Amino acid sequence: MSAAAAFFAPFAAGLRAPNRPAPPGLTTWNDSDPGVRFDVYRNNVVVSLVGALADGFPVTQSLVGEDFFLWMAREYILAEPPRSPVLAEYGDSFPAFIAGFEPAAGLAYLPDVARLERLRVRAYHAADAEAVSTALLTSQLQRPEQLPGTRLQLHPSLSLLSSSHAVVSIWAAHQGAAPPRALEVERQESALVLRSGDDVLILPTPPATAAFLSLLKTGATLGDATAAALESAPDFDLTQCLASLIRHGAIVAWQPPGDPAP
Amino acid sequence: MTQSRAIPTTAAALALALGSAITLIDTAVAAESGEMEKCFGVALKGKNDCAAGPGTSCAGSSKVDHQANAWKLVPKGTCEQTASTTSPTGYGQLMAFKAQ
Repeated sequence: MSAAAAFFAPFAAGLRAPNRPAPPGLTTWNDSDPGVRFDVYRNNVVVSLVGALADGFPVTQSLVGEDFFLWMAREYILAEPPRSPVLAEYGDSFPAFIAGFEPAAGLAYLPDVARLERLRVRAYHAADAEAVSTALLTSQLQRPEQLPGTRLQLHPSLSLLSSSHAVVSIWAAHQGAAPPRALEVERQESALVLRSGDDVLILPTPPATAAFLSLLKTGATLGDATAAALESAPDFDLTQCLASLIRHGAIVAWQPPGDPAP
Repeated sequence: MTQSRAIPTTAAALALALGSAITLIDTAVAAESGEMEKCFGVALKGKNDCAAGPGTSCAGSSKVDHQANAWKLVPKGTCEQTASTTSPTGYGQLMAFKAQ
């Protein structure tokens, strides 16, 4: 073990164990007690991470209340500390942790609400990509025989969530507008999450549309994805779906069959 | 079943959908250009966009749900269809009102 590792291993372990004495080898510039200084540092680490989670999961916090959230976030931080120095990446596994967190089991929709909030943060930080022009799309109409075999590349921020609970309605009810008159929590809902400009949108999406977009994301052709969507829901509306994608700049490459991927 | 599935995925059907989608965009952009209206009495506590009486710092300053003198920007035409517990009409209003 290198000297640095010999110092940092107990230091890192000490950060997660409030009852342990300060790790060996600490000195202070003004001869104050290193144990007290380490306690302050340890507290700052946890508090800043709790703050980061609270910022990224505001609706989750609203649903369980501040005290419960603080406790749940602490348990998560101790169980799964950050693996990356990039704070925006911290919390990917929080929804799964919530799903396994026994005291929150009474709120069956909570993990999916957290998943939705996570996708939102991910979308916000996703790479930029320029949408294809309307002119390019219009030009495709001159070669309709190519459309069934065409593949679409969607914006890097675009993701989908399908839940057996009304997570989009629950999320929307926490966005400051008037509360919904009635909310049927057990209803299935799907969401399309994507960034349009600098705004992250959460759009309620019919399940067939969500399935269609998932297929496109994995490289299915327009023809195959449409056929699959129509099979699951005969009222699948391809026109509205494409219009929504175009309107939000979500199509970033249009690849007719035979064209090399960019 | 097989037949009804085969038809919509033909090249012609896809071209029709794409063509309609492009047309929809052109008309939607015109309609979408930020048509909002101030709606009084529908914002939840602390969620108003502005105007909540003297001594406040405006946005986010309303003290109760559906405060009558606090407004929120909502899509045009939806204000007077949004439920408000304080409003004499039962819905949001385009001007500040006296809570019932």
